[in-house]
Amino acid sequence: MSKSSGKENPSSLDDFSERLEKMRPTADESPHQKGAKPSGAAWGRAMRASTDLLAGLIVGVGLGIGLDRWLDTTPWFLLAGIAVGFGAGLRNVYRALGEDHKPDGSDN
Amino acid sequence: MIDLRAAGPMEQFEILPIIALHFGPYDISLTNSALWMLLGTGAIILFFLAATRKTNLIPDRLQSMAEVLYEFIFDLVRDIIGPEGRKFFPYVFTLFMWILVANFFGLLPTIPGAPHALHTFTTTSHLAVTFALAMATILIVVIYGFAKNGLGFFKLFVPSGVPLWLLPLIAVIEFVSFLSRPISLSVRLFANMFAGHIILKLFAGFIISLIGAGGAFTILGILPFLGTVAVTLLEFLVAGLQAYVFAILTCIYLSDAAHAGDH
Repeated sequence: MSKSSGKENPSSLDDFSERLEKMRPTADESPHQKGAKPSGAAWGRAMRASTDLLAGLIVGVGLGIGLDRWLDTTPWFLLAGIAVGFGAGLRNVYRALGEDHKPDGSDN
Repeated sequence: MIDLRAAGPMEQFEILPIIALHFGPYDISLTNSALWMLLGTGAIILFFLAATRKTNLIPDRLQSMAEVLYEFIFDLVRDIIGPEGRKFFPYVFTLFMWILVANFFGLLPTIPGAPHALHTFTTTSHLAVTFALAMATILIVVIYGFAKNGLGFFKLFVPSGVPLWLLPLIAVIEFVSFLSRPISLSVRLFANMFAGHIILKLFAGFIISLIGAGGAFTILGILPFLGTVAVTLLEFLVAGLQAYVFAILTCIYLSDAAHAGDH
């Protein structure tokens, strides 16, 4: 939003909206303009990667312990859960980092 | 003199009843946590009522603030989910505003001398609150995913282009990955607010200890003071950023639900 244009005496609203249309990217363009991301997004991405990795492991270990208790198979499901949970965590991170290159976010 | 005994780093997270209420066996007292949720919600409602009271083509200051917030989330939802994201906009916008205001209200200074139950409280520094928000998002994802795609929603766990012998393992990993979403979502917000507020109180506690030590140590008290100022600024960034990250991830998960049957 430009402040200088606001100071001029607006001749008419049509003129104003014409100028506004020129400055505004059209609806089809804007999803592809990924360069205009807020600067905080990079940091948010980094934090996301760390908790995503941890969360996968938490769920894997939780499921492993739960299944072991239920089926009385300690420690086999826990061991498998750690492996699968770590895999899921890596998958989370992989997906999180991949999303930046797919602007529509429709595919993984 | 303000009572300094309440300056320990963990006291700020204590849940204290303000008005005791009981419903059958359940304790539904109005706590400090609930009070700050109500304050935040009330502030958002008042802000948008005031901002939209008289809308002009050329917005005044308040109206522009509301419009910037609105467009920011609207663009986010449209870019990530696509045209059908419109119906999720009210949810994402509410979620974003609520978390943003809850985070910022937690950074307000406590009124000196206020009783402990009325100290500034950060609702988002409790896992119970953030997990409830994350579960709301995941429930919408699951319900909408099945409603829109039917059993095609399970394609979410079966990525295309995976060799058949690897499919069972990948499906298990994808399933655990899906289950980890609400945990990742809630732990991130909770941990950021919790850790930030502990660091803030620890730094501030050092000032008092150093001044209390007297002599040359009093001068050194300037260092944790500068640290507290820096951490406070950082916390404002984190407060905004975490609300933004929560909103983005909500959109990404909703997008998964909307497009699960596409491939």
